[in-house]
Amino acid sequence: MEYNWDFATIFLNWRVYWFGLQGTLLMFAVTVTLGMFGGLIIGVLRYLKHPLAAWPARTFVEIFRNTPVLVQIIWFYYAFPILTGIETSPFLAAALGITLNTMAFSAEIYRAGIQSIDKGQWEAGKAIGMNFRQTLWRIIMPVALKRVLPALTNRGIEVFKMSTLASVVAYVETLNQAKLIADLNYNPIESYTAVALIFFVVLFPIVQATYALERVLKRGDE
Amino acid sequence: MEWDFTPALNNIDILLLGLVNTLKITGLSLCFGIPLGLLMALSRLSEFRPLSMLAAFIIEFFRTTPPLVQLFWFFFAFPILFNVNMTPFTTAIVTFSIQSSAFFAEIFRSGIQSIDRGQWEGARAIGMTRNQSLRRIILPQAVKRMIPAFMERSIELLKTTTLVSTIAYTDLMYQANDIAQKTFRPLEVYTVVALIYFVLIFCFSQLSIVIERRMARSGEGTVH
Repeated sequence: MEYNWDFATIFLNWRVYWFGLQGTLLMFAVTVTLGMFGGLIIGVLRYLKHPLAAWPARTFVEIFRNTPVLVQIIWFYYAFPILTGIETSPFLAAALGITLNTMAFSAEIYRAGIQSIDKGQWEAGKAIGMNFRQTLWRIIMPVALKRVLPALTNRGIEVFKMSTLASVVAYVETLNQAKLIADLNYNPIESYTAVALIFFVVLFPIVQATYALERVLKRGDE
Repeated sequence: MEWDFTPALNNIDILLLGLVNTLKITGLSLCFGIPLGLLMALSRLSEFRPLSMLAAFIIEFFRTTPPLVQLFWFFFAFPILFNVNMTPFTTAIVTFSIQSSAFFAEIFRSGIQSIDRGQWEGARAIGMTRNQSLRRIILPQAVKRMIPAFMERSIELLKTTTLVSTIAYTDLMYQANDIAQKTFRPLEVYTVVALIYFVLIFCFSQLSIVIERRMARSGEGTVH
């Protein structure tokens, strides 16, 4: 095999990867924060009995859960500006797509959490004179959030991996930088292996922590 | 801004050809991914430590790295490393088979582990070996519980296949990019394509909800 191994370039160019990783982290931080906060609102709206709240929320969730996130990003990059006249930068297009997708997925997680709480808790809230909102935020939500924490961290891990899709619209993140290095130095093996390892090293401890968290919560339930 | 769907609708045959390719990639990856997932789950549950640790590592690696990175690795790095030719099609099948098998392995594992210990002991009591009890007693019960999780994962796979457009395989997403560029009508083309994906995936998700409800009604447990 006539391939010149070239790991040196990877190490010499660590700043290029670091710059990319910063892009990945920024994309992740923005989308996971907005997505999970927005998802909480949508999830509660879906739980409400009022059709004017529940139906728009349901439609939103179905649209963004049942289309691929890459289609959403591309749509926001190429189609959205024509429709609204608002130019979307690669960052904005990718952030919009991933955030709305995360909102839809996490809304379903929150809703499942709220529904898993025993009816007696609602009645107890009412019995001590709390209104719907007070019962929801003071009694139901604290328990529900604890229950859905593992599902939310799993979603967070998915969001982190999803950030690579931003490279398709030329947002500067880790994978994009790896491609740059590979194209300039003709060392695709080293460059793409490096980016895979970066993701593994960042996410593996988080995944293990999630497993531990699941075990702790399970034990607490018993 | 005026909507004009004619360019998109005039090229609907090209889009549908892309849809067929999307389904082909999804189907083939499932055909390879599910048996491979079972193999990895059994390795992970094996009492032979090195084998179970290796399986655990492979599963975790493919679950924690982004599918787009895997796809690029198999497309750009793998052919040089092993001196083989990889077309976009074979790259897609190899990547998504392995990627989804890591997720299927975890579904198999939780399915197998959800079966009561008494079933293993019962099989052993009537003289079955470990292999026989797995095949005849444990798996038939476990697989039934896994059906909803399988369907969910297959839907995820269908959505993930859009990534093959980045290595120039002519799936639905790629055809959409192509037509959007040629007709200068990205708004309508991408909206139509999003709609096609939506209808397809929505039908599959509704089907999986129906199956899950039916199983819940018949008292059958499910795993995720």
